[in-house]
Amino acid sequence: MNGIGLWLVKSQTVGTGVSSVNVTSAFTADFDNYRIHWNNGTLSAQTSLEFKLGASTSTYNYKMLYGSYANATVAGSGKENQAKFEWCGGGDSNFAVMDVTVFQPFLTKYTGICTNGFYNPNVEMGIMSGVHKTATSYSDFTLTPSGGATMTGGTIYVYGYRNV
Amino acid sequence: MSRPLIQIDDLVREMTEEEYAAYLYNIEHTDPLPNA
Repeated sequence: MNGIGLWLVKSQTVGTGVSSVNVTSAFTADFDNYRIHWNNGTLSAQTSLEFKLGASTSTYNYKMLYGSYANATVAGSGKENQAKFEWCGGGDSNFAVMDVTVFQPFLTKYTGICTNGFYNPNVEMGIMSGVHKTATSYSDFTLTPSGGATMTGGTIYVYGYRNV
Repeated sequence: MSRPLIQIDDLVREMTEEEYAAYLYNIEHTDPLPNA
């Protein structure tokens, strides 16, 4: 289980028109850090994805640097003590993807997250990093499109990074 | 009126009343997408 660099822990096909997807048994003692992708799906409206750990609805702190493909402007937005991480991938009815790295969610420590630029990926990019300041172990996560949009199709992949 | 669908692994079902209330609260308390 821990003999290669990046291990596919789990894949989950996304249904049609769902308002959230909860992926269980994603995080285990086998790995500290994880990469999560979603591709080949769509969103019902142009929006981004929210990310929650287990049932936690507090202590999410995060910041994003973002900008449109149309110009050189870079903007920023940060939030403290929120109910979820925002801006964890996104898209619209033509192109929707997610690429996040989650640090030590299964350890009884704070959990870190960073994204790889997919935010509103048909028109903008945005790199978000954040920390969930609760020292609790989590085995599952939930993705929710912001603003009441829905997800359809595609596959969520959870990979574990090899520990030393 | 049917409630939105949620998915837990392979199970897709309607939200419960409590889940729907939390869902609406979350929408009301989330800012629009920031745009540069």
